[in-house]
Amino acid sequence: MLELGPIFRALLRNKIGAILIAVQIAFTMAIIVNAVFIIYDRSQQTKRPSGIDEANTFFISSSGFGDDFDIKGTITQDLEAIRALPGVIDAIQINAIPISGSGSSMGLQTKPGAEHDGTGVAVYMVDEHGIKALDLELIAGENFAKSDIRWRGPAGSKWPAKVIVTEAMAKRLFPDLSYSEAVGKTVYINDVEPMIITGIIDKLQAPWVGWDNLDNAMLSPEKMEFQSTRYLIRTVPGMRDQLMKTVEELLAENKSRVVDGMRSIDYVRERSYRGNTAMIKILTTVIVTLTIVTSLGIVGLASFSVNRRKKQIGIRRALGATKADILSYFMVENFLISASGVVLGAVLTVALNMLLVSALSIPPLDWFYILAGMLVLCLVGQAAVFGPAKKATEIAPATATRTV
Amino acid sequence: MFGYYVKLAFKSIKKNPLLSFLMVFAIALGIGASMTTITVNYLMSANPIPDKSEQLFYVQVDSWDPHNAFNDESGDPPNQLTWTDANNLFDAQKAVKQVLMAKSGGIVVPEDKNINPFEVQIRLSTADFFPMFDTPFLFGSGWDMAVDSKLEQVVVLTKKINDKIFGGENSVGRNITLAGQNFKVVGVLDSWEPVPKFYDVNNGAFDEVEDVFVPFKLKETLELPSWGNVNCWKSPDSEGFKAFLRSECINFQMWVQLDNQEQQSDYLMFLDNYVSEQKSLGRFPRPMNNKVSDVMTWMENQQVVEDDAKMMMWMSFMFLIVCLLNTVGLLLAKFIGKSSEIGLRRAIGASKGQVFQQHIIESATIGLLGGIAGLLLALLGLKGIESLYGDFVKNLISLDFTMAATGLLIALLSSVLAGLYPTWRACNIQPATQLKSQ
Amino acid sequence: MLTMTNVKKVFRTDLVETHALRDFNLQVDEGEFVAVTGPSGSGKTTFLNIAGMLETFNEGTYQLDGEDVSHLNDNQRSKLRNEKIGFIFQSYNLIPDLSLFDNVDVPLRYRGFDAKERKKRIEESLDIVGLANRMKHLPSQLSGGQQQRVAIARALAGNPRFLLADEPTGNLDSAMAQSVMELLKEINKKGTTIVMVTHDPQLATQATRNIFVKDGQVSEINDVVAMHVANG
Repeated sequence: MLELGPIFRALLRNKIGAILIAVQIAFTMAIIVNAVFIIYDRSQQTKRPSGIDEANTFFISSSGFGDDFDIKGTITQDLEAIRALPGVIDAIQINAIPISGSGSSMGLQTKPGAEHDGTGVAVYMVDEHGIKALDLELIAGENFAKSDIRWRGPAGSKWPAKVIVTEAMAKRLFPDLSYSEAVGKTVYINDVEPMIITGIIDKLQAPWVGWDNLDNAMLSPEKMEFQSTRYLIRTVPGMRDQLMKTVEELLAENKSRVVDGMRSIDYVRERSYRGNTAMIKILTTVIVTLTIVTSLGIVGLASFSVNRRKKQIGIRRALGATKADILSYFMVENFLISASGVVLGAVLTVALNMLLVSALSIPPLDWFYILAGMLVLCLVGQAAVFGPAKKATEIAPATATRTV
Repeated sequence: MFGYYVKLAFKSIKKNPLLSFLMVFAIALGIGASMTTITVNYLMSANPIPDKSEQLFYVQVDSWDPHNAFNDESGDPPNQLTWTDANNLFDAQKAVKQVLMAKSGGIVVPEDKNINPFEVQIRLSTADFFPMFDTPFLFGSGWDMAVDSKLEQVVVLTKKINDKIFGGENSVGRNITLAGQNFKVVGVLDSWEPVPKFYDVNNGAFDEVEDVFVPFKLKETLELPSWGNVNCWKSPDSEGFKAFLRSECINFQMWVQLDNQEQQSDYLMFLDNYVSEQKSLGRFPRPMNNKVSDVMTWMENQQVVEDDAKMMMWMSFMFLIVCLLNTVGLLLAKFIGKSSEIGLRRAIGASKGQVFQQHIIESATIGLLGGIAGLLLALLGLKGIESLYGDFVKNLISLDFTMAATGLLIALLSSVLAGLYPTWRACNIQPATQLKSQ
Repeated sequence: MLTMTNVKKVFRTDLVETHALRDFNLQVDEGEFVAVTGPSGSGKTTFLNIAGMLETFNEGTYQLDGEDVSHLNDNQRSKLRNEKIGFIFQSYNLIPDLSLFDNVDVPLRYRGFDAKERKKRIEESLDIVGLANRMKHLPSQLSGGQQQRVAIARALAGNPRFLLADEPTGNLDSAMAQSVMELLKEINKKGTTIVMVTHDPQLATQATRNIFVKDGQVSEINDVVAMHVANG
């Protein structure tokens, strides 16, 4: 039995208490809905795969010192030794680690000349073992041959003749072609230097997780004659941790270099997305505490209003209200307040989202979040008021005949 | 009377422990959340060098690609300089003081064979780095300008590195092997962690200060590697280190000290003249776009305060609003619940003003208790931030006296504000109606 | 109509047992107007609460309209209360947040009448007590006597067989009290059984029967007419 009319009219005579709860619900909803949306957005970002065999891959740096340090010889020896270790699937020298936060990018363009715009692409310098070590799938064209690999000097600026790009990059460069048709096309790096696309790989992310062109990557067939270099090693499942130790000890045998910076890709992912993970945890805490605060506020005010209306409840009971009638009175009253709160809340939610969209890089909210938020907050209100309402039903009908 | 009201406030708080706890808890949460985010934002946007921030200027000239602006959105000139421009501008010595710098790195091989060789971050800089940025010295000092031009191999160590190599002894005059070369130690810095690390924000605004300082011009002779951000709009003309330095790649920063408006406009004029001269040599294909920005302007331009931090702060303010609305509601419930007591007080002679005072003091007491609890929560919150974000925020999570005082003040003000309406309602309770039986 | 046989009501606290009613026996017939008097603490209000099923009792039987109500549960009692009994309280007990219309509406809502029926009954009963023109007003805008009339209207609206009145004129001055009494007598004449608790002998004499309660028991039943004769 609903008695909306009288409940509503009675509410209007006690506006302030009701308004306070409604506004509180509105602000809570604005925060919670936006927070949930951001959590969803960030967790989607965090889940994006990098394209490499993350669980079984690690990398390590080697920096030679002294004038007599033989760079080329050391790299060749190192790679041979590492690749020969049991449990190693493959190992390469590489200039940058996907999703690690540091690396280098270039622009590729389909027409030569400075007047044409290039498309940003992350550069990975690898040899013919690159595809296997990075666990990439070659979906068109062919891998580099051993003879394609050249040495790049410490301040080298010229580019090799071949390049392998990701499917995403191929589509950006040649939007009208299928990715396999991009094989054999010439693209230009540094405005004018030609490179022929000889292969397409399925997926490989750039080093910068916040970059707009995250899925644009290219493999350049090179080894680097740098004092400081980095090896990336892919192992069979379960062998990574053990091999990390083995490889570190192996490299450290050469005393004219410093070996450090050994990390797993799991670590890199954790570190690169730490901001997101932290944000998700903080916002979850905010949602939980805010829900508690608002619920406790509703409980507090509802208990107070039950106490204040003890006599009235007794009268209603005397006039024939069942316990269920009393319960529903408070539930309906709370529903009316919550409902007006969530309507205001919808407006505030959109306003806060617009603020976040305009000032910070937060995407606009999907409408169903608002709807779900309205529903959830009404439910929270109902749950919070249930306790005090239940207590109200315990008020004896005989209260009516007691002179207070 | 004040003491009496405070006593009454505590009595009243004790009388309704649950309601009082709810209010203190709500304020504490609101204050705790706000203080945590305000602290992080406050430290991110702190003035790292308050005495000089208006005299130190970051220098930008637009040497970028004729077809594309360095920054499409803002149209700002590049955020670093080319080797050529850095040296030309420095050699002109047109400012009161000027410093060139760049990030590099190398291997240190300690004499003590018990310590393994290790890699260090190098800050290449010119002599005025130390006096311009007021770096504190533990031993020795920086180097003078003659050292820069004579390409002497000297080094200033940070305290951390001095501790590692020399066990914290005064190492001035001793030698270290760095990047395969012999360097003489001239100074050891005391602990120095500017927040933000304003002198080079584009390589991590909250990173640690580099390990060692070495004269800038040694980069060329020793071919020290280019660390930090390198951006090029076209590749060097040929292979090799020299070609890189001659190229349009930017990796270098310059700060100048300009003491007044006149010096600033003179310096901008000098920059314009320099760019015109370079244009005649075929460089600087873009329209004239030179800039000098003082410390705080530069911090803002580089968006040192993270978006996430700003967002958290806004959200925490809304959180505080919810908590305050909560408190208003609960206070209202409490004060109206005390109607008969208030009516009685009014009947036996309390004026409206006195009832007002009594209740506003009660609100303030609750606010203060909430504020104190909130500060403790903020400490906890900052610990939480540290554990979530790790090293990145280690300089951003200390709650200083100003922040603690601000927190208490916010708690006090907001609780008094929250108490206003309930108190007003309490004052307007008519003595007569409350004494009649209901 | 109303039959109580050996009804016993005990209030227990940790320390004492209070016998509010002991072996309470009473029969009220249809159409009677019974006044219950007695000193304070005699059990008048407890009797009224039990009669109105606001409270339960420990022993004995209570039949209302031929139905034994001793074993009814809370919901059944609420329903019976709503359908058969109208309450009039000393302090009127109107709900301050609701208009006169909504106040009279309260028991009708619980009865489950539709809107049209409720409106008709509210208007009729407010008309009977002479306040039909003030339906939109709040209780606080009325005098005590008027408020009590609204309470009577509320009690009448559901067409109860029974009116239970607890000191209905206790808060009113004598002129107003008399006008409320006249209203009750009129209602009684139309066939509604009334049981009224009062401490005012003057008012009690206007009922058709007087019952004197002492120490939780009915100690005296006087036919009012007989008393008049004795006095005369």
